[in-house]
Amino acid sequence: MFLTWEFPPRVIGGISPHVFYLSKSLAKNGVKVHVVTCDFPGAPARETLDGVEVYRVDSYKNPSPDFATWVYLMNLNMQKEAAAIAAKLPEKIDVFHAHDWLVATAGIGLKHVFRKPLLVTMHSTEIGRRDGLHTSTEKMISETEAWLTYEAWKVICCSQYMVSHVKWAFGLPDDKLVMVPNGVDWAVYEKVRKHELKDFRTTFASPEEKLVLFVGRLVYEKGAHVLINSIPKILEKVNAKFVIVGSGYMKEQLSTIVKSMGLEHKVLFTGFLDEESLMKLQCSADVSVVPSLFEPFGIVALEAMAAKSPVVVSDTGGLGEIVEHDVTGVKVYPNNVDSLAWGVTKVLTDEKYRNSLREDAYRRIHERYDWDKIAQQTERIYEGVLGEYSKSFWA
Amino acid sequence: MRVIIFTWEYPPRIVGQLAEYTSSLSTQLVKNNVETYLVTYHPYMTGVTEEPNGVKIVRVANSVRTHIGVLTWVLTLNQEVERAAANIYYQAGKAVDVVDVYDWHFIPAAVTLKNALGIPFVYSVDSLEDHRSHEANMPFNMAIKSIEWLGFYESAVVTAKSEWMRDEIVRIYKTPKEKIQVVSPTSKTWIDDMLKVYAQAAGGAAKT
Repeated sequence: MFLTWEFPPRVIGGISPHVFYLSKSLAKNGVKVHVVTCDFPGAPARETLDGVEVYRVDSYKNPSPDFATWVYLMNLNMQKEAAAIAAKLPEKIDVFHAHDWLVATAGIGLKHVFRKPLLVTMHSTEIGRRDGLHTSTEKMISETEAWLTYEAWKVICCSQYMVSHVKWAFGLPDDKLVMVPNGVDWAVYEKVRKHELKDFRTTFASPEEKLVLFVGRLVYEKGAHVLINSIPKILEKVNAKFVIVGSGYMKEQLSTIVKSMGLEHKVLFTGFLDEESLMKLQCSADVSVVPSLFEPFGIVALEAMAAKSPVVVSDTGGLGEIVEHDVTGVKVYPNNVDSLAWGVTKVLTDEKYRNSLREDAYRRIHERYDWDKIAQQTERIYEGVLGEYSKSFWA
Repeated sequence: MRVIIFTWEYPPRIVGQLAEYTSSLSTQLVKNNVETYLVTYHPYMTGVTEEPNGVKIVRVANSVRTHIGVLTWVLTLNQEVERAAANIYYQAGKAVDVVDVYDWHFIPAAVTLKNALGIPFVYSVDSLEDHRSHEANMPFNMAIKSIEWLGFYESAVVTAKSEWMRDEIVRIYKTPKEKIQVVSPTSKTWIDDMLKVYAQAAGGAAKT
């Protein structure tokens, strides 16, 4: 049974698509997956989706003074509902699989009342997101994460970088940690209607402008400000339009910077885009830039690669593992305006280089980031845990 | 009959009058041949102990040290209460007749145990948020009230210590009056009344 605070159509960050594809691919491999998640306006409380049983629970039942308290109150309700679902199922739940601290208390409680193994995928950490722990809320969240990893049988991370980060953050033993990468649904990009792209592109950039794409929440760790600061240097060499997709608490600040630099005509903030437009944009981009300062995995880079857009990424965290420099993309120094400008300019000015990056990246996606292969890896982890569990006194 | 009492205070940790009350209640229950467990909070005296009076006490601490309010503190502590209760349940051959919860703090644990393992619970009301923070309707207070409401809704039986409190519960939470039993600690029939409540909650099947 998966516990997750987001599942399509509720999409807040990377956990939602991760759980969506992983659960579907597991179901395809014959694993019965029950997903318990938060409700969303218009989404049914109960549905079966490609063999995955989805349950959406009322997540705003209890009034909450702040976000963190809301999370624990939401967990109270999620745990109650999940307990009732698991108790009524004709078959027993073998494994509870939690995604991030947002479902920590529900996962820990269910583990103990049903005496079944708990696994957790740590998509991110509070200490990484905030670059340290500065407030009581941040400390509380970090301690909740530590507790969750302590209670888990195995802790799954999506990159080697996250494995070592989580090991450091919570002092976990090596044999508790396991790396399974995120995947990307490359097939959806093949369905994008290529003949419409030319017209579509003109709504964002003129034909003589190269299209530089940033996709991500507009928050500090995603580094959109680094890209914006590098624009004058890039424009010295090449005519380009910078399209920034996403929203976040830095949106106002970023558009003020753009205005003060006199670059309003070169930068377009689209806000949050619907999936189809986003995919078209990714297919149209001459380069996709991921300038994150902290990135546990960097799924947006994989999406760009699947859309056959060349990528320039900062060499940090999981991003650095996805991209092989000069082969499947360009890696630049994180938080370094000159380095980023160099990388973007190099890709935009050399068409042959651009095409070779596209092809190699696309091949790499199929080899390593295919959801079916990832689901098989995950299933092997479940089997290993259940083997150990069967010898424990809980069995 | 096997009963687990949940209370957030118990001697030597005394905050209000619940510590004293649950202590004398559990003592009396053991005298009446009820196998009595009590799960409570203590910051460091954790683990299982058996009191000279025969009550088995499990003290748990919070796994999360830093908190931003009593709500986050309570909501994370509940998982340890659940763990302690689940251990009792499994070690007793999956048989606990009833859980008796004092005030709102450990309602979440009782609700999960009910839904997961089918253990009915009694919600014993000592005080209500509406009286403690009169007419306060900030999200903080409303959250506590929503947990109290969950307790009234999910419990098998509610106990109040006076007729007045019973009427207050009906007035504020619209709980059906017949679901609430008045069990007065000063009454001569106090323990008998409590045992009747437990039997009623356990479906009338369990005998002492």
